[in-house]
Amino acid sequence: MTFETRVRTAILETFAATGDAPSPAAVAGRLGSFLEPVLAAWNRLREGRAIVTGEDGIAIRMANPFSGIPTEHTFESAGVRYYANCAWDALGIPAALGRGGTVRSRCAHSGESLLLEVADEGPERCDWLFHSLVPAAHWWDDIVFT
Amino acid sequence: MLFFRSEDDLRAWCAERGAEPGPMVPVPQLWRLSRVWYGSRLDPEAPRPTPGEARAIFAGVGLTGSFWDPVSRQE
Repeated sequence: MTFETRVRTAILETFAATGDAPSPAAVAGRLGSFLEPVLAAWNRLREGRAIVTGEDGIAIRMANPFSGIPTEHTFESAGVRYYANCAWDALGIPAALGRGGTVRSRCAHSGESLLLEVADEGPERCDWLFHSLVPAAHWWDDIVFT
Repeated sequence: MLFFRSEDDLRAWCAERGAEPGPMVPVPQLWRLSRVWYGSRLDPEAPRPTPGEARAIFAGVGLTGSFWDPVSRQE
């Protein structure tokens, strides 16, 4: 496993365990590494679209399906609240974790709340729709907008 | 990428923005996509899908056409 992969894995495992994004220092501590190589890996992961950072280039904004900042799309399971980047990722988190829980979101037009129970085998019956305004070829033109 | 409680809500939201609605994906289909797309995301050795793999994943859950083509030139 490359060091970059170890950093990526540590980021995702931290999200999975806590619901929150780790700092580079926390990842360095977890890996028993110096900070400098972690920051170099951070940059490569950003360039490879494995993470999206804030304006400081450090704070993790996205490590799909997890969001490093609060959003209106959440998943709760085993006492942990996860923020998702979008409606898709609200189902992506239970898929990634491989366990059930509760998705909360809302209808973008009416504002009606969505409360969706997800079992191991999938979500309960739900007639709601998912929609992306942006075609797949342009998702990364502005991934935060997408 | 948003949820809508009905097709009417989705169309109204798009109309308010002067946008043509894109494909409408039912929640069960979105779950099937999520399982394939994210099911191995925590596996350290699982690579991100290439554009060709992404196209195949979308097609595998019934999402086809230029909208779902990661390298489509069609606007």
